[in-house]
Amino acid sequence: MKKVLSLVLALCMILSLCACKSSEKTSSDGYEIALVTDVGNIDDKSFNQGAWEGVEKYAKDNKKTYSYYRPSEDSTEARVETIKQAIDKGAKVVVCPGYLFEDAIYTVQDQFSNVQFLLLDGEPHDADYANYKTASNTHNILYKEEQAGYLAGYAAVKEGYRKLGFLGGMAVPAVIRYGYGFVQGANAAAEELGVTGDVSMKYWYCGGFAPTDDIKTKMSGWYTDGTEVIFSCGGGIYLSCTAAAEAAGKKVIGVDVDQSAESATIITSAMKELANSVVLALTDLYKNNGTWPADLAGKTAVLGAVEGCVGLPTATWSMKNFTVDEYKALFEKVKNGIITISNASDAAPAVTISVDYQN
Amino acid sequence: MSWANILADLLGATVLFAVPLLLVALGGMFSERSGVINIALEGIMVVGALCSCLTLIGLDKSGFGKAHPQLGMLIAILVAAASGAVFSLMLAFASINLRADQTIGGTALNMLAPAFAIVLTWAVQGQGQTTILIPTWTRITQDNFGIERADTFFQNLVFKSFYLTTVVAIVLFIAAYVLLYKTRFGLRLRSCGEHPQAADSVGINVFRMRYAGVIISGILGGIGGLAFTVAAGSGFQSSVAGYGFLALAVMIFGNWKPLSILGASLFFALFKVIGSYSDSIPFLPSFKSVKASEYIYLMLPYIVTMIVLILTSKKSRAPKAEGIPYDKGMR
Repeated sequence: MKKVLSLVLALCMILSLCACKSSEKTSSDGYEIALVTDVGNIDDKSFNQGAWEGVEKYAKDNKKTYSYYRPSEDSTEARVETIKQAIDKGAKVVVCPGYLFEDAIYTVQDQFSNVQFLLLDGEPHDADYANYKTASNTHNILYKEEQAGYLAGYAAVKEGYRKLGFLGGMAVPAVIRYGYGFVQGANAAAEELGVTGDVSMKYWYCGGFAPTDDIKTKMSGWYTDGTEVIFSCGGGIYLSCTAAAEAAGKKVIGVDVDQSAESATIITSAMKELANSVVLALTDLYKNNGTWPADLAGKTAVLGAVEGCVGLPTATWSMKNFTVDEYKALFEKVKNGIITISNASDAAPAVTISVDYQN
Repeated sequence: MSWANILADLLGATVLFAVPLLLVALGGMFSERSGVINIALEGIMVVGALCSCLTLIGLDKSGFGKAHPQLGMLIAILVAAASGAVFSLMLAFASINLRADQTIGGTALNMLAPAFAIVLTWAVQGQGQTTILIPTWTRITQDNFGIERADTFFQNLVFKSFYLTTVVAIVLFIAAYVLLYKTRFGLRLRSCGEHPQAADSVGINVFRMRYAGVIISGILGGIGGLAFTVAAGSGFQSSVAGYGFLALAVMIFGNWKPLSILGASLFFALFKVIGSYSDSIPFLPSFKSVKASEYIYLMLPYIVTMIVLILTSKKSRAPKAEGIPYDKGMR
């Protein structure tokens, strides 16, 4: 008996050694570029991963040391703690993906004025939203998610889908903008085709960014109920959605990055170019000797179609009735402002198609 | 949509989620019937799921899985059983040989398992890659039987979420029932959980019986871990979402008896699934006026369990000697 136990323990030790080997190499200076994840992980195939890929790409191309840190829990204290830990380990630039970091950055940007912060999807403010302040060592990037959502919704209806679904993660501004954009896009296409009576949508926030069996079961219910395609919007929840879609033989729309490689059920993805914008921001930062240049320091950039930072993936296009050319024409209209899309996240857009808000 | 489709979905999903509960609760039953409280079911599930999912991706990469999908799945099930059994040996050793507190030993294993799972997943897949994706060939579809796909009640019921684990669970359930009630081994096992001193006095090796009980729980728990992971369908992320603890509740609810456990796990799974389907079932009230009304249905399985427990707790009876380390000198 003891032999078995010691065998198991020995196995544990050997395996944990293997784990060490595969981790990143340490250098004496620590890690210069740090990424702190929000509640997800860097393999969520969406938000955190996109940001991480940007960090990784820039750092590798420019021979910088880099690492990522994951807060122990979902709280501002844990995020502040993790940012400090990253700085202790030598971080000069801290990339924080997610609106969840707004409070944390508000706290740390003044404490560590020699460290540069890049906040994606948010603007620093204190805990009760009373004071907004972006210090000169912080740069914020926001995206026009409503444009990406609009393109996806428009494409889905033009492709011939009539019963749509929107599965959001937590009801946070970025997710809401995606969702309301999706509603507006579907509505616009339905009005163009004169099928507003046929197009309907189920709309639900699952309240998290991790896949669960409950989400999968609920999505199976939607599919059985007739839903043809679901826009799965948030982190790892697409796993639950594609599992349901595979069983039902139905379709999914991905989010943030081109997820078509993850499952054959994903017909397209409402993308925002996280990786690209992180690389661009870091390039500007290092050109200016490691501090934010004047046009970025303390400022918020809102990236959308004009900057080429939102869109659908044309390289992996799989839709038949809605072609790449039609998409490009639509994209131009969004870019030139011919089509205006509301970015309000406090009230649902007024549309003529029926939307079943289930929250 | 039609009524039949929703009903088929509902029943199919119920069976799918009842399978892991059933397997793991049966495992807990064997352990507790032999006199060892097995809180570590959650950890055993995690380890079983971890090892079998790694096996699955290994088989997928080598191409063996695509060529022989169900044979590959069977291998994964065997791996899950073996790894669960090995992991449960730690509990057996601590609580039987060392006479450690069984609850604390089990809790320690529950904490160890997810951490171990993350380390091993990262070692295999690279740092930060926490999700082990399950290959799609694991599901049994119409193609496996050469049946034409059709939108019939039967096909929607059976083929939407059908895995080899379901078949294995049915076989194991029957085997567990026979083993516990119809064999000499079962009688001896039960006697060790009721009055080990008496069992010892007639020549039964209590240590060996309790080891057997815990190892069986490890086997069933490990397979249950795999069954849960395929049911959840989203890959393995070093967790089984508390199903091990849910299974403990099912076991108690099922009064430590196989048939009642089967009923309890189906009941639990049904109410869990109804919550997710509530908006597709027309006759269920939707509570639109209540904020966050979806939680009403999510609470349902637990509320109903409490009510049933209140009504039946008088008849509920745990094995008498469970949780007490066997000491020959004690009478």
